[in-house]
Order: sequence, then C-alpha cells, then structure tokens
Amino acid sequence: MERVGAVLGGTAPDRRPFTLTLSLYGSRLLGRSAADCFADPALYAAGQRAVTELCQPDVLFGPFALALEAEAFGSTLERFRDAPPVVRKPALKSTAGIDSLRIPDPATAPGLRFLVDSVAAVVADQGGTRPVAAPLAAPCDLPIMLAGMDGWLETLMFDPALAARWTALAVEHFVALASAYFAAGAAFVVTPVMLVNPSLVNPSLVDRLLLPILREAFSRLPGPVVFHHGGNRIAGILPLVADLPNVAGFVIDERDPFEAARAALGPGPLLLGNLSGPQCALRGAEDQERRVASILSDRKNDPRFIFATSGADVPWETDPRTLERLRRLLEAPS
Amino acid sequence: MDFAAMQSTLYDHIMEARRREAADLLGEAIAGAGYEATLLSLLEPTLAMLGERWSSNALSLAQGFVAGKVAEDFLAMGAPVPGSPDARETVSREPLAGPARIAVIANAEDDYHAMGRSLVSTFLRLRGWQVEDMGCDVLAGDLVDRAVSVGACVVGISAMMLTTARNVLKVRAEIDARGLAGKLFLAVGGAVFRMRPELVTELGGDGTAETALDAPALFESFRLRSAGTGAASQAESAAP
Ligand code: B12
Repeated sequence: MERVGAVLGGTAPDRRPFTLTLSLYGSRLLGRSAADCFADPALYAAGQRAVTELCQPDVLFGPFALALEAEAFGSTLERFRDAPPVVRKPALKSTAGIDSLRIPDPATAPGLRFLVDSVAAVVADQGGTRPVAAPLAAPCDLPIMLAGMDGWLETLMFDPALAARWTALAVEHFVALASAYFAAGAAFVVTPVMLVNPSLVNPSLVDRLLLPILREAFSRLPGPVVFHHGGNRIAGILPLVADLPNVAGFVIDERDPFEAARAALGPGPLLLGNLSGPQCALRGAEDQERRVASILSDRKNDPRFIFATSGADVPWETDPRTLERLRRLLEAPS
Repeated sequence: MDFAAMQSTLYDHIMEARRREAADLLGEAIAGAGYEATLLSLLEPTLAMLGERWSSNALSLAQGFVAGKVAEDFLAMGAPVPGSPDARETVSREPLAGPARIAVIANAEDDYHAMGRSLVSTFLRLRGWQVEDMGCDVLAGDLVDRAVSVGACVVGISAMMLTTARNVLKVRAEIDARGLAGKLFLAVGGAVFRMRPELVTELGGDGTAETALDAPALFESFRLRSAGTGAASQAESAAP
C-alpha cells in the first residue's frame, strides 16, 4: 500500500510498484475453470491469493469480466474454462427496446453481487496491504453488450433522442456499480474505454457524443477511476480526455510511447503500462526481459508511473514461470 | 454527370455520417445515369478511397459502418433478383472465368460478434458476390456442408477473441478431410487476427483482410486461385 501511496503522492517509493492483470489467471493457478471462478466470490478471492503468492503484485484486481454486467440486464453469456465470459445474445434485438430494461441493483442482481462480493473478499484477504482495483465497463460501451455493436453505433450517430436515453441508463448503472465497488473497499475503479478511440469512432463524434457521457459518469463517482486503453493505442486521444473528472491515471497501449503520453497529460496523472498482457503467453524470456528493462529505463525519472500489463488479461495458457521471472525482474532494485 | 465531383460529395457525406444525404445522392445518380453506372463510377471509386484510408488507420470503424449502411441502402435500390426477393442484382458484369462468386460466411463456433461479419457480407454483395451468411456460432461441419451445397469457392470466418478464433482449426480440418483444400479457400478475420496476424496461418487460414472493405479483393484472389479447378462441381462431388 505504501509503495502505491508514495507514487500517488509523488514521492519516491522503495522500488517501482508493479501490477499484472491476473484476474483470469487466478483460476489457472487454482486448477479450476474460469467459469467457476467468475461465479463464486470465495473461489475468486482464493485465485487472487494464489496470484499474490506467485507474483506479489502491488495492485490486485476484482473480476475482469465485463459481460457479467450485461447478464444483469438480461443478456445471455457463454462461459469458458480458460477465458472470461462473453455475451452470446444481447438482452435486446434492437436499441429501440430500451423500455423493457431495468437498471439492476448491485446488491441483489446475481452477476453484480458476485463482482462486488469478490472485490470485498479480495480486499478482506489483503487486509489493507495492497490496493484492489475494480474493473467495470465504460458507460459509452455498455450498450454494445445489451443491444449489439451495430445497433449502438447506429443509435449514437443517427438517433440522438434514443441515444440520450441509453446514455442515462448506462451512466446510472456505471455510478451504481462503481459506488458499490468503493463501498466494498476498492481503492479505485478501472474502466477500459473502447469507443473513445479514433480507430473505432472519429474524434469529432467522440467529442460531441461520447465525452459528455464520460464526463457526467466520472463526475458522479465517489472515488478515483483509471482510464484503460482497451486494446487500442491512446496516446493520440489523451489531450481530449486529459481533463475528465476524477481520473487518477491512464493505462496506455504497448505501442503508445510514454513520453508522448506524459507530454499530453502533464505531470499530474498516473501512467500505467505498457507490457502487453495478452502477449505474455507467447514471448520468450529474453524478449520479455528486454521489454521490461526498456520500459523501466524509459520511466526512470517519472515519479508517477506504475509498471503494469496493458490490454486484456494475461492469458490462461501463460507459463507460471514466465510470471515468476517477471516478478523477479520487477522486484530487482532499480 | 460529373462523377468526380459527386464522388467527393459522397465521400464527405460518409465521413460525416450523413447517411440520408448519401442515399439521396446515390438515388439522383441512379435516376440520371442508371444503377450500374452509379455503382461503377460513383459508389465503388468512393469506397475505394475510403478503403485506402481504413487500411492506413485513417478511417474509424464508425465511418466504415456508415459506408456499410450506405452500401446497404444502395443495394436496396437495385432491382430484385427474379424469384429471390431478398437478393438484388448488382451489375451485369463480364462473364466470369472460373467458379462463380459464391461465398459462405459465419462467425466461428462460440463467437457472437456479428458486426465485422455483416460488414464483410455487405461489401461482398456489392461486388457481385452471392453471400450465404450463416450468422453467429456456426459449427465447422455445418459451414463446409453449406459451402459444398451452394458451390462456394470461399468460406469466410469472423472471430473476435482468441478462444473462439481457435475453432477456425476445426474448419481447416473439415476442409482438408473432404479433400477441398485449394478449391474451397478459408478467409479469416476479426479483431484478434488484427492484433495477432500470425494466428492466420497458425489456425489454418488461407488469408485475411484488415478491414471489411478489403475483403472482396481477398475473396476475389481466392476465387482466381480456385479457378480452373472446377471448385463448385468438384466440391459437390466431394460431398459425403
Ligand atoms: C469494442 C471492444 C469491446 C466492446 C464490445 C465488443 C463487441 N463487439 O461486442 C466491449 C467493451 C463490450 C468489450 C468487452 C470485452 N472485450 Co473487447 N474489445 C473491443 C475492441 C476495442 C474492438 C473490437 C470490435 O468490436 N471491433 C469492431 C469489429 C467490427 O471489428 P473487427 O472485429 O476487427 O472486424 C473488422 C475486420 O477485422 C474485418 N473482419 C471481421 N471479420 C472478418 C472476417 C473475414 C473473413 C475478413 C476477411 C475480415 C473480417 O472487418 C471488420 C470491419 O473492418 C477490441 C480491441 C481491438 N483493437 O480490436 C477488444 C478485444 C476484442 N476485447 C477483448 C476482450 C478480452 C474483451 C472482454 C473478454 C474483456 C473482459 N475480460 O471482460 C470483454 C468481452 C465482452 C463480450 N464481447 O461479451 C480482447 C480479446 C483478446 C483475446 N486475446 O481474445 C481485445 C482484442 C482487446 C485486447 N487486446 O485486449 N470489448
């Protein structure tokens, strides 16, 4: 906790704090299926204890399983042994059916209760030694999982009145779930923001349609949010999102240069990244070592940097020895 | 008709998500110059410009989506194919050498991310392909059965996640087991293939396209490779 606290306060920690996105990997370490671990808070927390033993990361995660939020609205899911769940059938055939949706209560809706109780269980296990980050879907992206990507894009671009109703629903849900996470002890929430990206939506539309959604949602949070790049480069859009309220930091893509990100954000916000999580299963030891060294040396003089994996979870099939090696590299005195 | 000026207007409409204006412009051009001339001299060249931008990451998915909607609107303005009310005539192109432009496309088994697939399907149709779109979560055996029964020379599979992309291997195995390799080509695509291009060959794909607008060129290259082998008839005779 002190290490991350020092970085947050801008003072020198004893060594660089680091975190790896190992939400899914807990199930691998337990030898259980991801489907089981993403359904039972006690099992999920046991997975995170195994992660802690193996890697000693400075930040732990609640379940990174965005589709569970969609399930609480009535979407049906596909569950896997070795991957997070995905939406099989969105709750609605079209965005026009919004009236039939009810905003689920995080205290009672089963999927959301699992998410919140898991965060509480991991927080309790850590007993204040490590901050716990709670992932949730960005309000501008949630409708994709409820009514399909094409339906949401079409509504956003061509039906402003309907889009406004969707926005209100997504913001209410985001604030309710995030608030429940904070009440459960999360130190911050982390949200992969997909649509606010020039490869998905052009900046003029982002500015007009999507940033207002984020601004409203983030301003109503009772705690800090970390803005996650979601699998695309984000250095180019940081100037657009730099002044969103309550944002403590940004996780950038592996292909984003830190220097450009820092220049866009100024000295204040935390920067996290940028070793690809999904590639951890594939890269050889030397390659990983070189990349870690280069990231650490690049950020040597940046007091507000936390080493982190970028992108989605570290894959299930990653060899635990790869993660042990990463831990040794990251724990070595700089 | 000043097609050059109209191309640039259409391009701007699509870039700025003005779908209705784009459809109106296409409607005017059809009224003045006919459907085929509008396709060949207005819509196709405009889409080619957009495609170049998309390949170099200078076009967003949202703009690509608008291009898809405009293409759908245009297809809906075409004359229905007699006896097949959903299908539309595109162009009376020169007679084809080799197999017909018939493709089957689907999302991989367990994959439910429909948007990439439906964009690919729209742009293929616009280029004169008869597309059998089987939807989400399609089993390898069913996919190849359908390809054989309609005489397709390409199957296209879309997958967004690694877990579901792995099911492409089953399609490869099915094609090989029926002796269709080199006749029935396997095109793959979707987010995970863009992130990890090495997966295309690892999972047995014959090739991929970065964007939906590039898909017709890929499919055409497969059709030409399949040409001369009599894909359709051999495929049929290879059916169990
Ligand atoms: C938007 C997005 C989301 C959105 C919605 C996605 C959706 N459509 O339902 C949200 C926020 C909900 C989301 C959630 C998740 N996501 Co996501 N998401 C993305 C993102 C940014 C874009 C994907 C997308 O929809 N693109 C739009 C479609 C239309 O594009 P496309 O599939 O590339 O298709 C184009 C081309 O590829 C081509 N094409 C498509 N099919 C075909 C077929 C053929 C034959 C051809 C030739 C061409 C072709 O044409 C299309 C148009 O040009 C990607 C990262 C990225 N940069 O791509 C991650 C990504 C796909 N997500 C990922 C993950 C892990 C998830 C989650 C599981 C996270 C979690 N732990 O909960 C959840 C799953 C939720 C679910 N789906 O139910 C990972 C997958 C990693 C992996 N190894 O499998 C990715 C790659 C991000 C990453 N690197 O970390 N996600």
